[in-house]
Amino acid sequence: MAPKVYVVLLNEQSCWQKPRYKTPKILRLRISHRSQCSELTTISFSNFPLENLLPPFCSSLLTMSIALFSSPPATHLPSPSSPHSTAKTQLALRHFISLRPKKQPPFWVFAENGAGSTSTAAIVEEDKPAAAEEKVSEDKKEESLGSNGSVAVDATAAPAPVTAFQDPRWIGGTWDLTQFQKDGKTDWDAVIDAEARRRKWLQDNPESSNNDNPIVFDTSIIPWWAWIKRYHLPEAELLNGRAAMIGFFMAYVVDSLTGVGLVDQMGNFFCKTLLFVAVVGVLVIRKNEDIETVKKLLEESTFYDKQWQATWQDETSSSSMKD
Amino acid sequence: MASIALNLKTFVGLRQASPENNPITALAKPSSTTTAARKQLRINAAKTSPKVTGRNLRVAVVGGGPAGGSAAETLAKGGIETFLIERKLDNCKPCGGAIPLCMVGEFDLPLDIIDRRVTKMKMISPSNVAVDIGQTLKPHEYIGMVRREVLDAFLRDRAATAGATLINGLFLKMEMPSSKTAPYRLHYTDYNAKTGVSGGKKTLEVDAVIGADGANSRIAKSINAGDYEYAIAFQERVKIPDEKMKYYEDLAEMYVGDDVSPDFYGWVFPKCDHVAVGTGTVSHKPDIKKFQLATRLRARDKIAGGKIIRVEAHPIPEHPRPRRLLDRAALVGDAAGYVTKCSGEGIYFAAKSGRMCAEAIVEGSENGKRMVEEGDLRKYLEKWDKTYWPTYKVLDVLQKLFYRSNPAREAFVEMCADEYVQKMTFDSYLYKKVAPGNPIEDLKLAVNTIGSLVRANALRREMDKLSV
Repeated sequence: MAPKVYVVLLNEQSCWQKPRYKTPKILRLRISHRSQCSELTTISFSNFPLENLLPPFCSSLLTMSIALFSSPPATHLPSPSSPHSTAKTQLALRHFISLRPKKQPPFWVFAENGAGSTSTAAIVEEDKPAAAEEKVSEDKKEESLGSNGSVAVDATAAPAPVTAFQDPRWIGGTWDLTQFQKDGKTDWDAVIDAEARRRKWLQDNPESSNNDNPIVFDTSIIPWWAWIKRYHLPEAELLNGRAAMIGFFMAYVVDSLTGVGLVDQMGNFFCKTLLFVAVVGVLVIRKNEDIETVKKLLEESTFYDKQWQATWQDETSSSSMKD
Repeated sequence: MASIALNLKTFVGLRQASPENNPITALAKPSSTTTAARKQLRINAAKTSPKVTGRNLRVAVVGGGPAGGSAAETLAKGGIETFLIERKLDNCKPCGGAIPLCMVGEFDLPLDIIDRRVTKMKMISPSNVAVDIGQTLKPHEYIGMVRREVLDAFLRDRAATAGATLINGLFLKMEMPSSKTAPYRLHYTDYNAKTGVSGGKKTLEVDAVIGADGANSRIAKSINAGDYEYAIAFQERVKIPDEKMKYYEDLAEMYVGDDVSPDFYGWVFPKCDHVAVGTGTVSHKPDIKKFQLATRLRARDKIAGGKIIRVEAHPIPEHPRPRRLLDRAALVGDAAGYVTKCSGEGIYFAAKSGRMCAEAIVEGSENGKRMVEEGDLRKYLEKWDKTYWPTYKVLDVLQKLFYRSNPAREAFVEMCADEYVQKMTFDSYLYKKVAPGNPIEDLKLAVNTIGSLVRANALRREMDKLSV
């Protein structure tokens, strides 16, 4: 798991004149090379009373950056402020990132061991384009707000930020059929595949329903013959094959046992019944489990009626007692 | 039945040589001598042979919700001495709070009881396809959202005004009668009389009992009514910012999906100044918190910035109890299990069943002049089953068909987009009548339903292929 890195930028001379804190508690890193600090190895720290940091630093930027930290003393952080701080910090960071090439301020790296907790307070991942950062943090902010109004953030509730379902052919809440053209005609099989993929994605990563991006796709835009060609025909072929094999075999057996030819068999009522049973059987029982399914369905369809009639069974027994 | 009784009376009257053998007035006050004489002449064959009482019939209604309140009112108006026992007069039952339009008319509810009129609904499928329903509603049609404490108090007070005695107490147990004319003895704790030696424990003797005390009914236990399966409905009240509340002004949402509930649905219902976000399940009760989180996730964008102000849960019966009636004690409302499948609607059916049972008692006792019998109360069951069985069965079929799996739910939401479906649904919901509808449209509907189900299942097969 990629470690998450919280970066706090300070102006070089800002408030470092009188360090009033004990250095051993904080690990300071001077990172002189500015280039990529994406996957900094983490430095985990424990039980760090963050309030001690607040007085010495007069820059409000830092105050808010600290509010980002979701390490063990998370309860120290008032959550109402964190949403605001998130946004501000994002902007501030962006601002600082643009300044980076010029100066080389020392900055604190408070890193959190990503493997440990899965906290939801804003997770800043450096080195992403700033726009994505803001979007991700926007999502997280909304999530933390919407998920729980109380102070302690429910750690088990929050997944890592997952982007919504995206596909170049999915436009405006429906599939753009012009992008499914093949030889001048719409490739309906591809539409079916795409929709299946979308539903699969949503099944594994449920998304919030949004009024601004309503989903209006209706499966009935795919014409009926496309469905039949893809699903009904192969199954029909299979079932017809089974019925033909059973029919041939039974006709042979009956002929060998009774000497009645196929044409004469069809005139016989018993044989016609057998034929009917065979056809219905092939249609209804396609897998071994279907036998159980059919039995359960029959029982289910009358179960509710039985529950309602239960009180009347009671009556017949009690009235017989009365007389 | 009445003719036998009349003949009997005239016969007795002749024996007594009393002038009151007018066959027309069936409500003549009987004297004690005729009682004695009639006992010897009683015919056992007829189940509903009425018995004579020298005073008004006494009936206890245990439970003061919609069922109890409307039962007590009907009984009191029918001239019966009614006792309404309720343990918590300000109970805020955690409930969806939706009442159909017909309830307002049938129960003469004042319009200020209704906090909101929902005229639009949004159904959201597992893949977030959202369908708006409600365009077919006429301007005067709506689903009323009420606060249970307001509605219950109104019905109870109206019963008290009609002459019922309201007792604030907790029902403890009931002693069954020793004979067909002996009374039921109810033991209860009277909260208004805590002082004294007995500590508020009192006894009440009545001739008939209506059990309206809800899903965990004690009356049901006393008559060995049996158990039922129940769903657990879990709900959080969320106060959302005003601009988000505007969206829910007259709109309720229903979320379906395996993530939200395996056999029910998740909802966002508007209440007086906040929304209720909840879900329910029958078969996976331990996972209810997971389902609630999923519901919140699906509604996240629309309730963002909200604060949870209350968390509540309540059981919803799935089907009626095996025994709804024993001797002269009957169950109504949630105690009997009169909650529909598919939508989980119970308030209207509770009130209506309370009223029907009370009407049967009033009729059987001829306005309180005669003792009732099990047969008289069975009439209420007969009438109830006959009137509402089609509604319950149709909703059961719908639930079995459409709440089965994600493809079925997708098909369900697709079908809801159809105008005919919306019209039929709302007509049957608002007026509680299974309307026959147009046969051609029904056929088209059947074809479309099958088509939707087939398509959704085909897509599910594709999805399974993807995962493999």
